[in-house]
Amino acid sequence: MVGRADDLEEGGMRAFDVQGTRIAVAHVNGAFHAFDDTCTHMGCSLAEGDLEETTVICPCHGSEFDVRSGAVLQGPAREPVDSYETRVESDNLEIKS
Amino acid sequence: MSETFVIVGAGVAGGGAAAALREEGFDGRVVLIGAEQQPPYERPPLSKEYLRGESSFERALFQPPDFYDENGVETRFGVRATRVDAAEKVVELDGGERVAYDRLLVATGGRNRRFRIPGMDLEGIYSLRTVADSDRIRAEISPGRRAVVVGMGFIGSEVAASLRQSGVDVVVVDRNEVPLRRVLGEEVGRVIEGIHRDHGTSMIFEDTVAAFEGVGRVERATTARGRRIECDFVVVGLGVEPVTDLLADTGAEIDNGVVVDEYLRTGVEGIYAAGDVANHYHPVFGRRIRVEHWQNALKQGPVAARNMLDKDKPYDEVPWFWSDQYEHNLQYAGFHTEWDELVVRGSIEERNFVAFYRKERRVLAAVALNRGRDLRRSMPLIKAREPIDAARLCDLDVDLRALASVAGTLTSAARSSSKTA
Repeated sequence: MVGRADDLEEGGMRAFDVQGTRIAVAHVNGAFHAFDDTCTHMGCSLAEGDLEETTVICPCHGSEFDVRSGAVLQGPAREPVDSYETRVESDNLEIKS
Repeated sequence: MSETFVIVGAGVAGGGAAAALREEGFDGRVVLIGAEQQPPYERPPLSKEYLRGESSFERALFQPPDFYDENGVETRFGVRATRVDAAEKVVELDGGERVAYDRLLVATGGRNRRFRIPGMDLEGIYSLRTVADSDRIRAEISPGRRAVVVGMGFIGSEVAASLRQSGVDVVVVDRNEVPLRRVLGEEVGRVIEGIHRDHGTSMIFEDTVAAFEGVGRVERATTARGRRIECDFVVVGLGVEPVTDLLADTGAEIDNGVVVDEYLRTGVEGIYAAGDVANHYHPVFGRRIRVEHWQNALKQGPVAARNMLDKDKPYDEVPWFWSDQYEHNLQYAGFHTEWDELVVRGSIEERNFVAFYRKERRVLAAVALNRGRDLRRSMPLIKAREPIDAARLCDLDVDLRALASVAGTLTSAARSSSKTA
């Protein structure tokens, strides 16, 4: 468990430490999508960027990833970010890593 | 009969245009011609992570190596196009080959501005544009060596930072009072100066290099004000000039690059331009601009390709670029040449701010230091070109997107009311 699902409002994004890895969670259309917070381009925190629908935009160089799959939608990043399964159990947000 | 579209210039704009032609279903012949040996690659790393040896060239490749074969893009890499014959619709290449075209995209980019400084032919003096240039500079880097960097525009500033990060002793010589003054102005330039000072870069301002001296190889630079700076190598960053020579006989207008309209068309039928070389009419700013940055090349190449296919798509992206120096991320969006007020959101002292360049209360452009999210949120606001309260721009509790949407609404409302009127 990483936190309370209630703490992450719809359209919001936040990074958590999960066993030494920074993992970002985006709350979009009622679903929680978890992915590596560290941009594969130059290592900036994606959770510090913007979330537009299911796209997260890196604040440093504008790389765009699909929060559902981690796929690159727009460079300069080349490699996808890892994505993780999430589960909400009685308001507890869990990330499967 | 199948058509031939020729792209001269195999950088990000040219490579992106080739890809876009295929994505749009163009099934004619596509020929991509580039003066460099390499397939299209991204230049931003050349002054930063690639120069520091932190990332590979493969990582900078714009497309996977087999992309061109797989997509039926004929390539001529390492071959310069020398002349376009617009009457015959032929591109002439170094070595004599003549390639006939139905439509032609000129994406030749820029080359380092030629400079005349006595001693400039000595060994150990470099400028930076290509991966070959970056490799040569990279070979000079080792801790404790001494470099002179001439010019503190973006390339000079980034190279100085990368050299310092690699343990090289750096002395910069720039004719202005602060780094990046021409683009960012004195106030923001001072911040950049402070960052470089904190990292141990020596900076000499309001002076110019008078000569390079040495026997065979550069040993020192002397300045107009009589300084002597001992060094092991030199990097000159005095800007680039657009490569337009090949169009000289075509009748295409050349004025600070290849002049094109918002559809990236020259005045000559069938000839288009994109990327660093294109002095394009920008509908947001109501004037021609020429942009020497990655995003412009990335976005403009495909738009040119679509217009070669008669899609009539104007190019109206807000110019944007980043410049990473040391641990700091600087970004700029918009276009400005003059401004009457600099509105700062955040803290200059803490090196965490967005500064808005305003003229008559409209935001023309913004620069952010370590505040990229706010910069991105400023883009719609720059596009809207509406007067905006300085107090609201500065208020950290105000989401810039909210301001932008208000501005956007006002703009569209103003438009519709002027229509009905």
